[in-house]
Amino acid sequence: MTPLLVAPWGGSQLLAIPLDVKSNAVMQGIAWFATHFIGLFKAAAESFVGLATGVIPLLLVLITFMYALTTWIGEKRVTHAVQWAGKYAVTRYTLMPLLAVIMLTNPMCYTFGRFLPERYKPAYYDATVSFVHPVTAFFPHANGAELFVWAGVSAGVLKVDSGAYARLAALYFLVGLIVILMRGLVTQGFTNFLIKRGGHEAVFQKFDEDYAQGQMERTEEAVA
Amino acid sequence: MTTDFPAVRINKGAGGWGPGLVVRVHGDRNIVLSVTGGDEHPVAKRIAELTGGRVVNAFNSGAPDDQVMCAVINCGGTARSGVYPKKRIPTVNVFTASPGGPLQKYITDDIYVSGVGVSNVETAEAGTPAIGDDGAETGQASQPPQPDGSDAAVNSTAVGEVKKESAFSRFIIKFGGAIGYVITSLLNAGREGVKLILNTVIPFMAYVALIMGIVNYTGLANWIARSVSPLAGSLWGLLLLGIITGLPILSPFLGPGAAIAQIIGVLMGAQIATGALPVRYALPTLFAIDGQVGCDFIPVGLSLGEAQSETVDVGVPAVLFGRQLTSPLAVLIAYGFSFLV
Repeated sequence: MTPLLVAPWGGSQLLAIPLDVKSNAVMQGIAWFATHFIGLFKAAAESFVGLATGVIPLLLVLITFMYALTTWIGEKRVTHAVQWAGKYAVTRYTLMPLLAVIMLTNPMCYTFGRFLPERYKPAYYDATVSFVHPVTAFFPHANGAELFVWAGVSAGVLKVDSGAYARLAALYFLVGLIVILMRGLVTQGFTNFLIKRGGHEAVFQKFDEDYAQGQMERTEEAVA
Repeated sequence: MTTDFPAVRINKGAGGWGPGLVVRVHGDRNIVLSVTGGDEHPVAKRIAELTGGRVVNAFNSGAPDDQVMCAVINCGGTARSGVYPKKRIPTVNVFTASPGGPLQKYITDDIYVSGVGVSNVETAEAGTPAIGDDGAETGQASQPPQPDGSDAAVNSTAVGEVKKESAFSRFIIKFGGAIGYVITSLLNAGREGVKLILNTVIPFMAYVALIMGIVNYTGLANWIARSVSPLAGSLWGLLLLGIITGLPILSPFLGPGAAIAQIIGVLMGAQIATGALPVRYALPTLFAIDGQVGCDFIPVGLSLGEAQSETVDVGVPAVLFGRQLTSPLAVLIAYGFSFLV
């Protein structure tokens, strides 16, 4: 009798094909593939459950409240505040992006750029777009499609130290505001530099005048 | 002549739903039905004032359906929101409810608008077709009645005799209205929230989970961790990461959908969870992996802000070059604050 005819459980001599998984390369391959194929997706499913139970419940109630809040505050009131904030460099790159992102959410928040003179628009965009991730620490509705920059990192922190999670959220938000102010000012500087270097000074002078003109008309309308 | 009556456009208000309605008086069909409880609703008064119709308070007297031009409701749920649309009566909801509930299929955008305030009601441009026009009666210029100053709203209420209500029942009605408003906006916010989670967040979660599954199961996670940890585990490494993400030639490609930043975010989170990275490094890490944010979107973002083409020409390099400086600077600022975490 050849060893090939011996079944793994040893008793029967009638089997003509080898069923010993441990010694057959093809069966080993298939078994390996099956185990790991399922294993891979099981691991993925586990991550999904982790995300779904860990992130969704808090997120859903938070989003619900924030939507309601934005309804109560109303876009009109925010538009007024935004126009005021656009006048000063410090508020232009902090308060204005903050209100825009919370009220209009990504990507409509960039439309508030229309309240600014042309030369400030690139810096406003830079500051605003740089806030669409820090904002998700407290206002996840503002950028629902890109939560995981914050949610990914913070999920790890939450597991280790839940107190640090809250502090991290607050700091991400606040440092975010400092960073966008810095970023806005730097980009404003670069924009002005490129306007001068590229010989666009005359064009932008004209834009500024048009803007001032538009502002005056708007004020007259408001008075009348 | 029905066209002697001006058409009135009713737009949705903040948080409201629907593209808006245009209504006008057609012969006998001139009633603005106020179904809000208490006095006639100001929105109903305003519509009547501009159309030349009359307000009927549904709580005081009934009105035959074929004489109702439109109904003004304050429904936060789904019942009244559906009843009038089901009868094909144009429905103006002063609350922000969007279609839902058992009558949802009747609540269509040609007949329903919500979140409407007095300021959302305006005279339509001459010739604007209104609901119920038979197509034959357009093109004739219609003169809006001149609202005569401050007491216009008062005049228009003179149509129906209003029962005098006691101060107490007034208070109850006001209080009920306020509660209704709060509940409606919360309910609607919940509906919007579920929509966002279902359409945007969960699909992304599925994708992240799949990637995470592959990365974890194949051991790639450990490999990435070994190569990224030295970067994310020291100030110099984080600064280098910030410089790399801020590279003007690289950042526009790293940007789209923040897909890469999000994956790295999840991986970093996993490293922090296992204790491979100290918790306080989370803060500078958040900025280091995000130096490229929005660099793929500059021209679109600028045009959303109605920028001129010259501004776009100057703005794109200004933002890209600015990032080379501000991306590592942001990491430095965050590192300074990281001791507070």
